[in-house]
Amino acid sequence: MTVAELRPTGTASADLPVIAARGVTKTFGDGRVVALEGADFDVRPGEFISLVGPSGCGKSTLLRIVAGLLGSSAGSLSVHGEKVTGPRHDVAMMFQKPTLLAWRTAIENVLLPTEIAGRVTDKDRRRAMDLLELTGLKDFAFSFPSQLSGGMQQRVALARLLQTGADILLLDEPFGALDEFTREHLNVELMRIVGEVGATTLFVTHNIGEAIFLADRVFVMTPRPGRLAKIVDVPFARPRSPELQLTPDFNQLVAEVRTTLGAVA
Amino acid sequence: MSEADERALRGAVGPTSRRIMFNHLAILMSLLTAWEVGVRTGTLDALFFPLPTDILAGFWRLYVVQGNVWSHLGLTMMEVSIGFLAGSALGIGLAVVVGLVEPLRRYMKPYVIITEATPRIAIGPVIIAAFGFGWTSKVAIVMLVCFFAPFVNTLNGMVNVDDDELDMMRSMRASKLQIFRKLMIPDAMPEIMGGLRLAMASALGGALVAEFIAANAGMGVLINQYTGVLNMASAFVCVLTLTAIGFFILRFMEAVDRWLVFWGDRARTEAVSRRRASAWARREEGRT
Repeated sequence: MTVAELRPTGTASADLPVIAARGVTKTFGDGRVVALEGADFDVRPGEFISLVGPSGCGKSTLLRIVAGLLGSSAGSLSVHGEKVTGPRHDVAMMFQKPTLLAWRTAIENVLLPTEIAGRVTDKDRRRAMDLLELTGLKDFAFSFPSQLSGGMQQRVALARLLQTGADILLLDEPFGALDEFTREHLNVELMRIVGEVGATTLFVTHNIGEAIFLADRVFVMTPRPGRLAKIVDVPFARPRSPELQLTPDFNQLVAEVRTTLGAVA
Repeated sequence: MSEADERALRGAVGPTSRRIMFNHLAILMSLLTAWEVGVRTGTLDALFFPLPTDILAGFWRLYVVQGNVWSHLGLTMMEVSIGFLAGSALGIGLAVVVGLVEPLRRYMKPYVIITEATPRIAIGPVIIAAFGFGWTSKVAIVMLVCFFAPFVNTLNGMVNVDDDELDMMRSMRASKLQIFRKLMIPDAMPEIMGGLRLAMASALGGALVAEFIAANAGMGVLINQYTGVLNMASAFVCVLTLTAIGFFILRFMEAVDRWLVFWGDRARTEAVSRRRASAWARREEGRT
């Protein structure tokens, strides 16, 4: 199987924004707590967006609204030109916890979205195996989650995310619970894999360096109330190597984001 | 650990475990001999401690010569089986309904607490008055005894599903039924099994107490009859029979638990993992 065959089956068109947010607001507790206020942005096909900010800045809330897991209180959010009213087949989400089912092997976990959508065919099984190979876990296809390390479990979750065939991937601090080295390694892998399948990605993190390293654009978010304070363009060419993080240009961007966060905090 | 390592370890453990078995046997034999000698010399009261050899003879008499235990044992076991199956099925079934319907959960709670606080055995005479002296009242009491642990555990298991796992299923557009079947039930399985083990452990006791209260047949009645005429050896035969049955029930439930909730046990997880791998390989072969 070639990489092209692993590409998502969604319906991306070059001129339309994949995600369009207009004044998206979310309040809790009868409007007393404002989790997210007036978020306005467009996301282009194939773009990698990092959402960065301290806790309470509304980044996870925004992600859940895009996923259709949470309704917005005001404003409108559309995906592929359609208003989001609930979870969609072309949007898939990955969580900070692997959320693997303990009674399923790695490959059975990867096949879960296919099983939920309908019958599992031999073609689906082959695709799941190819995705496990893509995430470097082919030899562990029949291991149960308890037999895998935290990093390996998140690789399975990543393969499951891709198995959905969604062309919009939402990642909520996917490697946040892992140690520094594993996280760095998986970030590079993630960039390669997402680049190969050509998906549009929203990536939530509270790590500024990680946000810039991965993204085409960084959405800088500030808390109380949660707000999209600034959008920073990341001009570096791809593929990027971890050494990029040592260059002055990179550090200047880090400083820019830090200043935005600091000015409000 | 590799398979070879495990085999080596087991080999090393082998002789030691045989020696431990021998020690156990030696201790048991000494205790029984002391008992026998104690009763024969009059140190132990024969009324409470029948001779071990008399008990042994009692097994032969009750099971082979008279053969009267069988019908009582059969009846009690029938009460236990029907009561356990019906009671725990009712408990699990009701917990599933209550777990899925949010308002029901809220308004049922006080009744569950009140009923749980009531000693089950206190209701025994009431049930016997309602259903009569026969086996139906015993089944009803066993059902009552077997209802709560599975009910409470199943409900707990279903309510305690991880929020992120629920969101994961919802983000894949899983239906309510799919979330229930693929997430909630397997997730609650360890707790459901825990409840079933508790229920099974109390089922036998429940049936016996019910028979003590009022009955015309069953192991409880037989024990009452023998102790009534101070035939302690025969009463001990009945008690030891129930001990053996209780032991096998416990072991059986443990085995079912390990089989169903395999992912809680490392060795079982590895075995199932190997089996799934070879099943996959066989399918691949079948296709080409």
